[in-house]
Amino acid sequence: MNDNVIIDVKNIKKHYNNGIIKALDGIDAQVHNGEVVVVIGPSGSGKSTFLRCLNLLEMPTDGTITFEGHDITDPKANINIHRQKMGMVFQHFNLFPHMTVIKNMTLAPIKLLGISPKEAEKRAMELLTRVNLADRANAYPSQLSGGQKQRIAIVRALCMNPDVMLFDEPTSALDPEMVGEVLDVMKQLATEGMTMVVVTHEMGFAREVGDRVIFMADGKIVEESNPESIFTNPSEERTKNFLAKVL
Amino acid sequence: MADWQANITNWFVAFQDRFINNFIVDERWRYLWDGLGVTLKVTFFALFLGIIIGSVIAIIRASHDKTIKEMPKSFSRILLIFFNKICKIYLTIVRGTPVVVQLLIMVFVIMSSSDPVFAAIITFGINSGAYVAEIVRSGIMSIEPGQFEAGRSLGFNYIQTMRYIILPQALKNVLPALANEFIVLLKETSVAGYAAIQDLTKGGNIILGRTFDAFFPLITVAIIYLLLVMLFTWLVGKLERRLRSSER
Repeated sequence: MNDNVIIDVKNIKKHYNNGIIKALDGIDAQVHNGEVVVVIGPSGSGKSTFLRCLNLLEMPTDGTITFEGHDITDPKANINIHRQKMGMVFQHFNLFPHMTVIKNMTLAPIKLLGISPKEAEKRAMELLTRVNLADRANAYPSQLSGGQKQRIAIVRALCMNPDVMLFDEPTSALDPEMVGEVLDVMKQLATEGMTMVVVTHEMGFAREVGDRVIFMADGKIVEESNPESIFTNPSEERTKNFLAKVL
Repeated sequence: MADWQANITNWFVAFQDRFINNFIVDERWRYLWDGLGVTLKVTFFALFLGIIIGSVIAIIRASHDKTIKEMPKSFSRILLIFFNKICKIYLTIVRGTPVVVQLLIMVFVIMSSSDPVFAAIITFGINSGAYVAEIVRSGIMSIEPGQFEAGRSLGFNYIQTMRYIILPQALKNVLPALANEFIVLLKETSVAGYAAIQDLTKGGNIILGRTFDAFFPLITVAIIYLLLVMLFTWLVGKLERRLRSSER
């Protein structure tokens, strides 16, 4: 195994109803340090399930996932420790509505990393400044727009200093005019060298920011290559069909 | 003096006499005052106990319902199924029998050697816990799964996610239902007299037994309960508004 590999996925399957429904049907993939992997595909192709398997929000029925050299699918592995190193951003933001923005961001670092509240707040304010939301630190999530919520969700995950960021359709629930501000934050993150796995329908983003694009359909990886060749010269018929519809 | 004036004067004199006879003679007001103390004591501690029992059961039941399908076969799975069964049996028994019967059994059978007031606290606590459990469980189930996933994805374990993220939201959502349960509990303690406990209602009853005047002691008891409930409703309303306003 390459030292550079941060997530190594071997033949994972996710079956429901005793195998009648195969959400994932044997996925092999690797994510390298500093890489931006974009997962695209039609809805129901299993791309979100794949992403959610990476931090075991969905437990794969079969196969192994190795994260930073640890087999996290091993029942003895402490997934909570590994999840601290994998930030996740959801389609519906999932901010905690009963806490202010700053509390949303500092809760996990204070409780899990043992950082002092003062220090955690300082770090959170730095991150808020970077996404131009320092003035909303004491607002509640219900007072924010969708784009603001998602930017907060991103920096909330960053507060844990993760090694990988997982994005599950981060712009799908946003009004069109707010998509840009979220993608900008993600681009900035990518340029800073963050390892990212992004499930998205934003083909422009995939093309511009992705180092590698994975096309999934029916629970399988159909095609995987750099964005340039997958978008201009896809080799599989299934990929061509899909791209013809979305581009 | 006209007849009607004399009637009113007589009525007032009689009223005054009855008031003095019911409350002042032999310091009879003490029955109400001490009874009120017992009622509040039983209600308060039973509420406290009920919330603890209810929350624990709600967490077990909700955890079971939410996770059992996905859980791999393991010891903790068996444990969860076992505890869930116990909780269900508890809910069935407590909700399926009258609280008076429970109280009598507790005071005269199970805890016959301890202080009846203490036994009443335990009884009403266990009884209320069953209702609180279902209220809190509905609160937990109403929180969208995304909240749970967000907590877990940050690295919180199951218990921490419950404690910091799910329960604060769930309890806030069910506050009106909990307040209702508290009001029911307060009034339900009025059956404590069956087990020879001198609560507020029993106090009124004792005065009635001494003076053979039903009107004064019973109406007074009713008014005291009413005032307590109104006061509490007002307090909860204030708390609720404060919790809500922080979100808007």
